[in-house]
Amino acid sequence: MSDALLPSTRINLERATVLVLDDNGPSLDILSQVVSGFGVKQLLRAESVADAQTLVRTKTFDLIISDVQMPTTDGIEFIQWLRREGGETNRYIPVILVTGHTRTSQIFKVRDAGANFMVAKPITPKVLLERIFWVAREDRAFIECDTYVGPDRRFKHEGPPPGTDGRRKDDLPPEVGDAQTPNMSDDEIANLMRPAKVQI
Amino acid sequence: MKVRKFRPTNRLTALIKERGGIMAKDAIAAAEAGVESLRESSMAALDEAIAEIERRFGRDTPERVTEVYEGLYVLGSRIIDVSAFVSDAGIDKAAVSLCTLVDSCEHAGYWRWDAVDVHIDALRLLRAHGAELPLDQREAMLQGLYRVSNYRPEEA
Repeated sequence: MSDALLPSTRINLERATVLVLDDNGPSLDILSQVVSGFGVKQLLRAESVADAQTLVRTKTFDLIISDVQMPTTDGIEFIQWLRREGGETNRYIPVILVTGHTRTSQIFKVRDAGANFMVAKPITPKVLLERIFWVAREDRAFIECDTYVGPDRRFKHEGPPPGTDGRRKDDLPPEVGDAQTPNMSDDEIANLMRPAKVQI
Repeated sequence: MKVRKFRPTNRLTALIKERGGIMAKDAIAAAEAGVESLRESSMAALDEAIAEIERRFGRDTPERVTEVYEGLYVLGSRIIDVSAFVSDAGIDKAAVSLCTLVDSCEHAGYWRWDAVDVHIDALRLLRAHGAELPLDQREAMLQGLYRVSNYRPEEA
């Protein structure tokens, strides 16, 4: 498969088991129609976090798509529960959160919920399929610690924040130090680029 | 703090690559056709939400001062949920601006009723004539709403 989702890219979601969660009926209907259109045969719907938790306890899923804003228990709390108490078969599955608006007070909570991706409502099939394709292909490490369980949030590998040494063993300092060997000459660089015949 | 870093198996990775399946363009077309079947019920839900906003939070409802912020926020969110069908009218953007406004009101601890009224008027107008408005006029209206609600689309 190529990196980008092209119109001609083949996808097969027939054997995927997907849970969609949204407390708003019309929104859940739209989400369900979109996912069914992608070829998913095993689609389970939940209109509350309590219903979703019951399903997670009894079935193995390959993908969860959940709304964020819900009464009583919201999508953020659901994902946090899933990542810690969702059982070994479901704890690490890809999760896409969907929301029409994020409250200022929830921005960091959403970031730290443990979801793989966030999609803005109103949902369009093209965008959602691109994101499903993305989470199916991503090779992000999982982080599990006291304060967070979910995909590594630092997946862009842009190094530690400026002015710090970083907290991880594989963090590299921003300065790479002095060169250990002389610079290459222009000819040496040109030779690296020059086409050459190859014997096969 | 102990941190465990690992790579769990992603079952979806293997499933999506299995032989057979359909092309992405066909999957999107099938999904769009499925969603289209929900147009009527979605528009009914959208109109219901706008009507409820006017009934509970409109300027002709003195009791609106007793309403909780969550009530208007949820109604604004319901409009966004089904607004893909009328995105050419700008209703989705006006509803996002309304949610931003309500969020800021809740944060401040008081309602800004003038700003709420402007958003309700805009939602009603965009629902009736949004798609027919010249692009620059519709955009000017939305920019006006953003100024009132302090919504910054570039940061969203």
